[in-house]
Amino acid sequence: MGIKTKTYIRRAEREDLDVVVGWMETPEFRRFLYGDPARSPKQIREQIVAMLGRSPGNTMPNGIYLIIDSEAYGPIGLLSLQNISCRNRSCSIDLYIGNEKLRNSMVPLLASYLAMEYCFDELNLHRISAFIYSFNAPSWRIIEKIGAVRELTLRDHVFRDGVHHDVYCYGLLRSEFDTFRAQNAKYTEHLMASMITEQRRAAAQPDKATEETP
Amino acid sequence: MITGDYAVIRTAEPDDTVALQRFYDPARLRSSLLDARRELIVPTYEELREALNQKDLVRGVFHAVEDKEGRVRGFCSLRGVNPEVSFAQLVMLLLDDADFDAPLAREILDFLLQQAFERVKLNKVIAHGFEDESAFRAFLRRNGFQSDGIQREVVFTLGRWRHLESFSLFRSATPYGG
Repeated sequence: MGIKTKTYIRRAEREDLDVVVGWMETPEFRRFLYGDPARSPKQIREQIVAMLGRSPGNTMPNGIYLIIDSEAYGPIGLLSLQNISCRNRSCSIDLYIGNEKLRNSMVPLLASYLAMEYCFDELNLHRISAFIYSFNAPSWRIIEKIGAVRELTLRDHVFRDGVHHDVYCYGLLRSEFDTFRAQNAKYTEHLMASMITEQRRAAAQPDKATEETP
Repeated sequence: MITGDYAVIRTAEPDDTVALQRFYDPARLRSSLLDARRELIVPTYEELREALNQKDLVRGVFHAVEDKEGRVRGFCSLRGVNPEVSFAQLVMLLLDDADFDAPLAREILDFLLQQAFERVKLNKVIAHGFEDESAFRAFLRRNGFQSDGIQREVVFTLGRWRHLESFSLFRSATPYGG
């Protein structure tokens, strides 16, 4: 039986600003965020406002920010696609799960899979890159599960908590994702369809959080 | 201006535009010239000249390399020097690959490493190279850089995909780390 989900991906809106800022102001979240961990809340807010700003609809922006949303839990996390290249058909991807309660659930894996599907099936990309801190084992285990290859180990690349840490660079080619999808078709074939259905249903109903499985 | 036994390293100037333009050759891809999206944007003469005329660029970030006869052999710089991170990217552009086997290249590297490790106090220097840049990659290996791995099919040009190898050199592995 295929997996169905109430989690979906949508474009980030300015109304998401307070939620995203709330996530990024927690020390735990910022530990995994690339950039200076000593940035002030004002600087973070300004950065996010710039991220959530609109590009003209008829152009491909350098970066796309999507919210991982759920009818049950509301906004769960942020998906960032950076350095999108039409010429190389590639981008780098970052996934942040802001809802702490869901970080050890199926949500990160589902969200990662949905993000890959979006990149390959909608943006028609050939390759996705992801840079993940070595201490963020849950994240790199997920991306390895989907078929990404650890291509680079950047030694002592980032400074956190007074220590240098390695950063892993993963690469996932379209052919590798297609192989993963074919091998797991019985679980994933209805995933995108259920996501779209759920998104439409949530958009048609008033906001109401429940204690249901995301 | 730094005068060595084989090279003269000075700040790049607008008059270096013609020499710099020769490096933007789509038929000979150089990883150092790619932008953040790994795309090679070939600038016009006016755009390059304007870039070399910018004060922040001329403030010693981008250097021209001359031989003892005054001919421009290439350019060099440290890219992405940032207080948030403890590394920068090494950029070495030499028109003739044979120069990577010459003492001139070693003098350029010594200059950049002194900038990185002694002046800015970085922890490491990184570099990238396509498989076609064999002379540059061999030069890096000969001078202590270690490979961090290869990213597959990152750039598409001239009808095929290119892989990109990344290298790093730590300050602790140099005389500056003592």
